[in-house]
Amino acid sequence: MFTQIRVCSAYPFVIFGFSVPLSGVPQEEKEMKRDHQDAGGGGRGDWYAVAEQEKGKASMGTDDGVDELLAALGYKVRSSDMADVAQKLEQLEMAMESSAAANDDVLFAHPAFDSVHYNPSDISAWVDNILSELNAPPPLPQQPPPPPAASLRHQFDLSPAGTEQYSIGTVDHYSPADVYELKPQSSTASLRDRKRLKVCSAFPSSSTPTDVAAQQVVVVDSQEAGIRLVHALMACAEAVQKDNLKAAGAIVKQISVLAASQGGAMRKVAGYFAEALAHRIYRPQSPRGVSCSSTHESTAFDDMLHQHFYESCPYLKFGHFTANQAILEAFAGCRRVHVVDFGMRQGLQWPALLQALALRPGGPPSFRLTGIGPPQPDNSDSLQEVGWKLAQLAETIRVDFRYRGFVATSLADLEPYLLLGAETDGRGVEDDEPEVVAVNSVFELHRLLARSGALEKVLGTILAVRPRIVTVVEQEANHNGRTFLDRFTEALHYYSTMFDSLEGSTSPPSSPEARRHGQAMSEMYLGRQIYNVVACEGAERTERHEALAQWRARMCRAGFESVPIGSNAFKQASMLLALFDGGEGFRVEENDGCLSLGWHTRPLIATSAWRAAGDPLRTSASS
Amino acid sequence: MLPEEEGRRFSINDNADLLGEILGRLDGRSLATAACVCRLWSAVGRREGVWESVCHRHARPCGDECGVATRAVVAALGGYRRLYRLCIGPALDRLADGGRVPLSLSLSLFSIDCYERLGVGAAAGAAAGGRQQQTPASLLFLCKPVDVS
Repeated sequence: MFTQIRVCSAYPFVIFGFSVPLSGVPQEEKEMKRDHQDAGGGGRGDWYAVAEQEKGKASMGTDDGVDELLAALGYKVRSSDMADVAQKLEQLEMAMESSAAANDDVLFAHPAFDSVHYNPSDISAWVDNILSELNAPPPLPQQPPPPPAASLRHQFDLSPAGTEQYSIGTVDHYSPADVYELKPQSSTASLRDRKRLKVCSAFPSSSTPTDVAAQQVVVVDSQEAGIRLVHALMACAEAVQKDNLKAAGAIVKQISVLAASQGGAMRKVAGYFAEALAHRIYRPQSPRGVSCSSTHESTAFDDMLHQHFYESCPYLKFGHFTANQAILEAFAGCRRVHVVDFGMRQGLQWPALLQALALRPGGPPSFRLTGIGPPQPDNSDSLQEVGWKLAQLAETIRVDFRYRGFVATSLADLEPYLLLGAETDGRGVEDDEPEVVAVNSVFELHRLLARSGALEKVLGTILAVRPRIVTVVEQEANHNGRTFLDRFTEALHYYSTMFDSLEGSTSPPSSPEARRHGQAMSEMYLGRQIYNVVACEGAERTERHEALAQWRARMCRAGFESVPIGSNAFKQASMLLALFDGGEGFRVEENDGCLSLGWHTRPLIATSAWRAAGDPLRTSASS
Repeated sequence: MLPEEEGRRFSINDNADLLGEILGRLDGRSLATAACVCRLWSAVGRREGVWESVCHRHARPCGDECGVATRAVVAALGGYRRLYRLCIGPALDRLADGGRVPLSLSLSLFSIDCYERLGVGAAAGAAAGGRQQQTPASLLFLCKPVDVS
């Protein structure tokens, strides 16, 4: 649905600040072109009068036929040329994309882009010249259908009372809320509202015309509600960031209206984000939200959602399988092994490892598992139950298995002696074989970032246990940026991609009802994360995902070095994904020894393996 | 079969082992269909050995997985027929070009399935300390998790 933000910083303008929905690109661009023509042909409201006065460009009236919106941004485009310009921009984009796909440097090294030959404010001529220099126009898209007679422009009309409230020149003071308080004049209120949204959201995010590089958004007057929805979400987030809760509240209502008109993943993502925003706006004091006060509040429900997420989409399976492969390779030749799992939950990762150990050449080792889990509010003993189940499985496949469970509110409460722990299982004689330890963390380390010093303590504890290998599976996204808006933007893209992937894939074997149910549960699982990222702050915001590069830095600082995950894991992961319907959307990538799973071009989950730096016990794991 | 032609004609039903060898060369779907023909074929078609041949034909082993250990593990997890039905067959359906599924991956998924099935019985048994289940001999672990919070 969303492609990445296409920011062409070398060029004087950004084509889209936020991406066009992937599923309908040609259609939208046709509509965009159609609207360009609409934009040009329409009448003018008082808003434009203000624009003209402020800019002092009295000559840029409708007489010139120049589009006023773009004029306010500093570009002169004839209204009659809009369709043409849009088409050429599209060609340029396709040329850039195709050359980027082919060879990164070819297009950008072209002399046309070395310097600005032509005045970019005259978009039409500029694009013409660039294209003719490139001399490689892709095939023309179909001509858009002729624009409808009733242009949207005619309906765009603001009451004169509203105009004094804002000035275009000083956009920083512009408050979107003021516009929303204006009463619509015609019956097509929703259309107009959307229009206003479009216009208003452009201004907070755009700066003065002189500052056009890479920051500005060319507002395309499109009927595509999806783009409007995204803009509304961003506008709301900005308002929240600026502590303008009144404006934000108004926009949130608009978002709900817009979201209802969408379908599929878009609607659901927008719904979750809108709900989280609404909670943030209306309950700023310690929200007692769904999963805000503690991520482990309703653990049974959490576990159920987790289970469905595990079954419906490949992310967790990918993490488990790649981590297991790394652990298996690290355990090669060892007779006594010990695995510490930081997030035991239902223990779904371990049957596969037990089976692989049972069948490894040389026979299975003596296997010990330490599972760590959160306290259960209803006194049920899920850790023990999980241990029992695993023990039964191990018994049937004849792997010597021992299990120990630890209940801990936070991983930082763990001490090394607990993990190494004296063996009280009746083995009197100390085995002469040293125990080889592996530490496994799936989506657990990022929670520690909510409390300062917690992560460092845990990493220190891990080092004290002297593990042969540490496997870390984390989300590949930065939802821990300093500003709320950064986090919001990142989260919007990340979860949009995740929801898209849920729409597009099924797991084997499944009936349509089971698939829908699983999908709904998975979406709820992700919705809780969204809520936490958007609506919570401080110690309660535990979903502090960070990107792989950031984790690398943290691990290296703490004294770990990277262990490359071998090609076996890569092959197994690729095959696993092939089993999922719509598996062609998933991509396994290798990134400097770490494996990541993504949807189309966006990596979403990353698995990495580590060991203590300078450890004399080097594994001879074949890669 | 006419008595005078006994020496010359052979029916496929004469020898169950031979029938098994033949059926073991079918693909999964055909074998399942063949098991519906008659009681003999149903009995032979359910033999683990037959399904083991089918699995190994369609799943690509990497390493040592054809050994005795594999047989024991698969039997413990539920058998080759179930392995094919749950893990190899559906996987083959998805690999359209008729490639082979890695056996290791199928076994991993199979073990997870077996584990999840254990949950149905174990939940009832855990309250009583698991006494209703056979206590595994190798089980030595602390009964209560240690609370460190």
